[in-house]
Amino acid sequence: MADEDYNDFDGGYEEEPVEPEVEEEIEEDAEQPAPIDTLGGEDVEMVEGETPSDKPRKTTRYMTKYERARVLGTRALQISMNAPVMVELEGETDPLEIAMKELRARKIPFTIRRYLPDGSYEDWGVDELIVEDSWKRQIG
Amino acid sequence: MFFHIVLERKIQLHPRHFGPHLRDKLIEKVLQEVEGTCSGRHGFIVAVTNISDIGKGLIRDGTGFVTFPVKYDCVVFRPFRGEILESVVTMVNKMGFFAEAGPVQIFVSNHLIPDDMEFQSGDIPCYATSDGLVKIQKDSEVRLKIVGTRVDVSEIFCIGTIKDDFLGLIGDPTAGG
Repeated sequence: MADEDYNDFDGGYEEEPVEPEVEEEIEEDAEQPAPIDTLGGEDVEMVEGETPSDKPRKTTRYMTKYERARVLGTRALQISMNAPVMVELEGETDPLEIAMKELRARKIPFTIRRYLPDGSYEDWGVDELIVEDSWKRQIG
Repeated sequence: MFFHIVLERKIQLHPRHFGPHLRDKLIEKVLQEVEGTCSGRHGFIVAVTNISDIGKGLIRDGTGFVTFPVKYDCVVFRPFRGEILESVVTMVNKMGFFAEAGPVQIFVSNHLIPDDMEFQSGDIPCYATSDGLVKIQKDSEVRLKIVGTRVDVSEIFCIGTIKDDFLGLIGDPTAGG
């Protein structure tokens, strides 16, 4: 799972993620969809970084631009392959646009698995990560 | 011999099957992919009785497909050397005859047929005793003992014998026996 690169996602979309400097020492790796029952659309501002469960997670609670690119790319691909859309559509047809809308609504049913240099990993649901608001400008 | 065991398989699911019926679709796919197959290790998978666990899916990069590890209980059939089976004869020729016990094919060479039975060619080739009381032909039921198995990756083939006590014809569709 640690052998993927992100290069294949590049589809002429105007993506210039001007991310503010969040701590970005983490590399993300495989996402997995937690089937719809595990992840609801919770309020992200509630999640103050570490959940008190098991071992506290220590990576950033911001979604990195790499994670965002991969989540959006993967989700857009799935939507383009007829995956059920998790938000109400208002005439959108572009899969990437729909994926962005889902991300905004925190309805993307993925979990990001962040591998750390020692081989361990932390799982973060897309719905608990703070997505920096550069997308607001991108989608207009 | 039949066993009831737990096996695991990774099932790839197309994004179009996501949604509320994801589980049903997965189960359907497991049955479809698994039942009736044969692996050298476990034997023939006869039936899936229960889906015990569906793990977390993993997104395959680049394809959008998701792989779920699924644990299922199933009944498997695996022949062993020395096992006694009842089987139906499917083909008879001068080298011996082939029989089937469920999914498994068994060959009984004429060396492993009692010496008093002779091959008789003709309209219906058969092995018969000289007095004609016992006659093994196509569709006869035969009790045999497995003396050897050849296990391939996706196939199991057996060699059987009827040259032993209590082995041989157990019923004959044509009242020959």
